[in-house]
Amino acid sequence: MKRLPTFLAATALLAAPALADETTGLTDDAITIGVMGPFSGNASSYSKAEIGLMAFYDMINEAGGVHGRKLVAVQEDTGCDTAKGLAAAKKLIFQDEVFMLQGNSCSGVAVALRPEIEEAGLPWIVAHAVSDTISDPVAANIFHGVPTGNANGRAMAEFVLSRPDTKKVAIIEHSNDWAHSYSNPAQAYLKEHGVEPTEVLTMERGQTDATAQVLKMRADRPDFIIAALYEAETAIFLRDLKKYGLGDIPVMGTAGTDLENTLKRVGDLETVKNYYVIHPYVDNLDGPGMQKWADMIHKYYPDEELTNFSYIAIGSGVALVKALEAAGPDLTRSKLIAELDKISDLDTGVLSAPITWTADDHQGVKGSAVSGFVDGKPTVLKAWGQPY
Amino acid sequence: MLMQLTLSGASQGAIYALVALSLTVVYRSTTVVNFGHGDLVMSGAFVAYVLVVGLGLAFLPAAVIAVVAMFGLGVCFSRGLIRPIRGGPHIGFALMSIALGYTLRGIARTVWGREVLPMPRVFDIEPIFLGDVVLTGDALFTIATVAVLLGLFFAMLTFTDIGKMVQAVYQSERGARLVGINVSRFHDLSWGTGAALGAVGGILIAPVSFLHPDLGASFLIKGFAAMTLGGFGSLGGAVLGGVVLGLAEQYAGAYIDTALIDITAYLLIILVLLVRPRGLFGRKAVVKV
Amino acid sequence: MSISPATLRLRTALFWAVPVLACALPLATNPYTQFVLNSMLISTLLTLGFNMVIGSLGQLAFANVAFFGLGAYASVIAMNDLGLPWLATIPLSGLVGAAGGFLASAVALRGIRLYYLAIVTLAFGELLRWLYIHADRLTGGTDGLAIPREGFLGFRLGDDTAQFYVFLAVTVVLVKGTLNLLRSRLGRSIVAVRENEIATASLGIPTARVIVTAFMWSGFLVGVAGALFAAHIGRVFPESFGLTQLIVGFAMVLVGGTGSVLGSVLGAVLLTALPEYVRAFPGMEEIFFGLVVIVVLLCLPQGLASLLRRLSPVFLERHFRE
Repeated sequence: MKRLPTFLAATALLAAPALADETTGLTDDAITIGVMGPFSGNASSYSKAEIGLMAFYDMINEAGGVHGRKLVAVQEDTGCDTAKGLAAAKKLIFQDEVFMLQGNSCSGVAVALRPEIEEAGLPWIVAHAVSDTISDPVAANIFHGVPTGNANGRAMAEFVLSRPDTKKVAIIEHSNDWAHSYSNPAQAYLKEHGVEPTEVLTMERGQTDATAQVLKMRADRPDFIIAALYEAETAIFLRDLKKYGLGDIPVMGTAGTDLENTLKRVGDLETVKNYYVIHPYVDNLDGPGMQKWADMIHKYYPDEELTNFSYIAIGSGVALVKALEAAGPDLTRSKLIAELDKISDLDTGVLSAPITWTADDHQGVKGSAVSGFVDGKPTVLKAWGQPY
Repeated sequence: MLMQLTLSGASQGAIYALVALSLTVVYRSTTVVNFGHGDLVMSGAFVAYVLVVGLGLAFLPAAVIAVVAMFGLGVCFSRGLIRPIRGGPHIGFALMSIALGYTLRGIARTVWGREVLPMPRVFDIEPIFLGDVVLTGDALFTIATVAVLLGLFFAMLTFTDIGKMVQAVYQSERGARLVGINVSRFHDLSWGTGAALGAVGGILIAPVSFLHPDLGASFLIKGFAAMTLGGFGSLGGAVLGGVVLGLAEQYAGAYIDTALIDITAYLLIILVLLVRPRGLFGRKAVVKV
Repeated sequence: MSISPATLRLRTALFWAVPVLACALPLATNPYTQFVLNSMLISTLLTLGFNMVIGSLGQLAFANVAFFGLGAYASVIAMNDLGLPWLATIPLSGLVGAAGGFLASAVALRGIRLYYLAIVTLAFGELLRWLYIHADRLTGGTDGLAIPREGFLGFRLGDDTAQFYVFLAVTVVLVKGTLNLLRSRLGRSIVAVRENEIATASLGIPTARVIVTAFMWSGFLVGVAGALFAAHIGRVFPESFGLTQLIVGFAMVLVGGTGSVLGSVLGAVLLTALPEYVRAFPGMEEIFFGLVVIVVLLCLPQGLASLLRRLSPVFLERHFRE
């Protein structure tokens, strides 16, 4: 800063207090929380996660809030675009002056935001985006409240290998950061266990046909297929797989899809019965363990269609409330960060794995279950053939 | 494998052909390329969806109503938004069509944005196996519908009075005006026809591709590629270009690399440019200066 | 139309008053508004570049977003792999963009015009985006490339205020440069080619050279904008250079005024600011942009700049012909 003209330095000082303030965005009866998500654009189906999170805030508020303070969400759209996302983050931090941030669905945006938010120093709980580089290396104020791509990818590969005699694994993916965040760690895990993927195929967003991909697979019939594809493409791929007589090969999907909605789209159990997905929850989406969360969302957002994205951010909300309670009525940003660091083995009642944050490791959720159809019903599984 | 690829390439290509043809119909008569066409394809599918799922209509009447509605939208677009800026620079038409598409997509997203919707399938018959080759109802239905439609279209163009009128306008707009043809109305009808044909494409693909607001975006580019391939502005060329593109995608994907499927269209556009700018079946595409 | 010397002086004064006053803006901003201001400057360069080809030259070339991406990637790769300081990458990115422009002009000179040119350049842009994704050794693939945040000339690259002054200086220089170009004989030939290429050629003006110049200058402006964008965001992703960006750029040209430098600035500033106000209605942005373009096309085809021109001759641009 030395060589800058003095008035420049002066403006920097003017802006500075907002950063340092420990109680910005805090009043006696409210904690303002910036909730960023892709509420518009072609990834807007992800913003269901933020809707679920805000429903959770509403529920906490209806029960009186935390130490008499309501959780007030300030919603900002990122459009899943880095420039827009940066503007949103800066707006929340410096103009709306929120106390903390929670949310973010798109990995690319979150990765681009990291330096900015790390510097600003306010607590940020990443509640949907999976890329490991958001929280690794560790930043004091950035917490990952969902299983990361690495955890998910390895869980996928682990499940694939838990099936006896799995030798040949093929991979089909979108060529974007989202798909790679799953498939790269999955491939790494496979290689560690001596399994080299027989094929890595591409199916881009918007493709309406997977014939070429499926015929390539038919040539050397893999034992298992890992599919890092979005909702529509997953359905198209599964359909084509069945159509060309490969319907009996099991397919392992990401947390970007779920069994119930994939079945609804495809419309026929026979096509999806060998489809498995990463399932980060304690129960099936329509199981009793998840019912109360579904009811909660519908209470505050009656028209919301529920998918597996809807619940993913709630676990980090539970952790936040626990840390806020522990931080006591004299809340500061540092106190909250210190309490988040103490969250250990927290059963959130929604995520299948507990949340543990320590000062050295902010990737709080280390594992995911898998869900698959057993006797035609979605069932949470620990490993091949083993119910959770 | 070759047979199978050819079959699915033909089925995809049939849709591309339809989209390319509908683009060309508008282009030939108005010299405007509709950059919002992909979203008209998407809109046609959404209208059919609302009729089938929302109002419980059977597929066929729903499809017919949707196509007619899209015809109406095309005519309205021409009348309300293209006519007033006629005489302006071409960039105006390009932007107007982009803006229309953008608005339609925005509306679709606001109403259905965060879901991927399944369109009920029409010909959900058991696949037929011919040796190693699988025939599905969707593929057969798509190819047959497009073939019949194209047959009717070209027969009308060649054998009827309307067709002769169309040919006349294509030849010389001024001449057509002199013999008393209402060229403005002809333009409106071309936009309507383009929108309607595009909607048919959307309705045919939706049961396979599912419905989402970005459905049309990729079809626009494929339509462009087919159009370029067939010689910019040739009706028959657009259809052939579409089929060639559909096949090329499948072959490139299966025999070279699946990562190529998505850019086959772009590669073909550049290739045509480098090798034969007039396209395969070229009318003269090059502007003399 | 002749403009009185007094008007000319007033115009010169106005031209320099705007950036001088803008220098004081950081006193009134917070990092968010500063970020938006910086975006406006980048958009201004982008729009200026778009406008040069589609407005002044009257060609439907859609490759500008591709040049924008080229510039951004060139800047980051030069920083990371060649160790160049960011400031030095700005002209470099401009040159890379200009090279792209040269390529596009070569296509146009083959007689590929109007919509055909639009489609070819569109394809070129999308192919480049595919390359960014698949040439991952150079571009970092889908994870993108981060730029070093540590400083240049003593200030940190992450500092929005410091960036602002660099962006502002670059923008002023390039706006002035564009105005001078358009005022020159060569520049007036650009507009002449738009109006009637054959007639222009028959006057002995080398139209090919004119077209190449317009394309290359456009590429240069957009390439520079790419270098600024890289510093602005701190990371470049393939996704940043898609079709949406293109549509927004066109809307800026149109709303400001096709073929007008003043219009480029106005359009860029307005359409960068407005979406920030509709943030409260997420999901409406597409409808908003669509309707803005439709309304402007129908009611104000020459853009906002034409309103100002009607208001006072100060806003007349000497090169401009409606």
